Amino acid sequence: MNKIYALTKKELRSYFSSPIAYIILIACLSLFNILFFMIIDQNKEVSLRDVFQVMEFMFIFIIPMLTMKSFAEEKANGTMEFLLTAPLTPSMIVLGKYCSVLLFYSLLIGLTGSYYFIVEYFGEPDSSSMLSGYLGIWLEGALFIAIGLLTSSWTRNQIIAAMLSYIILFMLYFSVTFSKYFTGAAENFVIQLSTRTHLENFAIGMISIGDLVYYLAGIVLCLTLTRVSINHRSWS
Amino acid sequence: MKILTVDNISKRFGSHLAVDNVSFEINQGEIVGFLGKNGAGKTTLMRMITSFLAPTTGKILVDGDDISKHSLAIRQKIGYLPESPPLYAEMSVYQYLKFAAEIKEVPAKKLTVQIAKVIDECNLQEVAKKTISTLSKGYKQRVGIAQAIIHDPKLLILDEPTSGLDPIQIQQVLSLIKNQREQRTVLLSTHTLSEIEQIAERILMIKTGKLVIDEPLETLLQNYKGGSIGALGDNPLNKVATLEQIFIDFHGVSAKSAIADNKTQ
Repeated sequence: MNKIYALTKKELRSYFSSPIAYIILIACLSLFNILFFMIIDQNKEVSLRDVFQVMEFMFIFIIPMLTMKSFAEEKANGTMEFLLTAPLTPSMIVLGKYCSVLLFYSLLIGLTGSYYFIVEYFGEPDSSSMLSGYLGIWLEGALFIAIGLLTSSWTRNQIIAAMLSYIILFMLYFSVTFSKYFTGAAENFVIQLSTRTHLENFAIGMISIGDLVYYLAGIVLCLTLTRVSINHRSWS
Repeated sequence: MKILTVDNISKRFGSHLAVDNVSFEINQGEIVGFLGKNGAGKTTLMRMITSFLAPTTGKILVDGDDISKHSLAIRQKIGYLPESPPLYAEMSVYQYLKFAAEIKEVPAKKLTVQIAKVIDECNLQEVAKKTISTLSKGYKQRVGIAQAIIHDPKLLILDEPTSGLDPIQIQQVLSLIKNQREQRTVLLSTHTLSEIEQIAERILMIKTGKLVIDEPLETLLQNYKGGSIGALGDNPLNKVATLEQIFIDFHGVSAKSAIADNKTQ
């Protein structure tokens, strides 16, 4: 546990030692704030449902920028050899990196928490649907991060890692759009594959086991594949 | 007491056999020089000993433990400096060593003392608070060695630790390695053979993946003079007992072309 904590600290330090982390935080919050006020002004309703959907779309672009360097940079700098020859299991390395990006992402989500209070100040919103929406967007980001780590573990080039993430995330996001070309079980599969289907449920205050399993299984699958990817040549 | 046993190790990458049935043992307290041309298989072999690569066949024992079964425990006993020091440019030297100590299970109570000890041993006091990206190559190499010894390993593996350093920096790094003799076993590779002659007690030479020499340095040089090492007996260079000439002979490079190569470099 201490080793995972040490890795997480090191990763967070690496984020905040360059201006990139601050730029991402400020740019995202500014953008979210503008979109929040535009949506609330246009809809005239005390709900964050549309805000969550916009955030979901924005995170497709933002999260690969956070995860692309995770393993690709270590490989390019030769520090992957340092980590894999230290008394660390591949699972510790993956979890340490995952926790650091998840903490950064949680900070970003946490900073949008003011929307809840603003909406509450102006009306009587459905608190449970707002909180479940926050849970949904957090789980969705957690899944995107796991996908980003996986693609970063495939290459030593950060740009390629980000591009691969974009491809996978776009496929997951838009798969529901293509459901009309399928029928029966295939149609249902394509609908259920889409992140939009599952976030929509959270955004309207509906937390189902199926949606939770979708996110958690996706996270575990991607982290397991990442573990295999970084460890395929060495002793476990 | 044997600290390292390499038993019939081979490593194949596709159709290329990088390491071919290599066996040797290293006793506790030895400083062993590991020689070979670029691409001979030195780094691959070192990477297998440090658990970074799994061998295709064969067995490696470190301090009596089989690496295929106790990889994590064995990594705790090994300090490793890869060919380019694995450093995080944005960290300060102290932060980096603290991170290395934490992931290498240095007990929290000993952490500060151990970092101070290693900083002192590697002469890094002046740069301890500096960011690694601002350091000279010599300092970076010493930081690399510092991370390798931070957890007090029994076996220290150094892959070309003096590569790219100026003569003064080379002497500093060599002196640092020499000082490890009393505390741990050292296996190091280098291309600068005069350096190996200064510090190694024993020579392992690898050629196209095969171990061709495993001799104490002194015996090797004496035998070479007398022409008693089979392959070298008839060589016209056998009157010059330097490791460099032995290296050139074993790798089938004529002295003339080797000297020309050196001049062009």
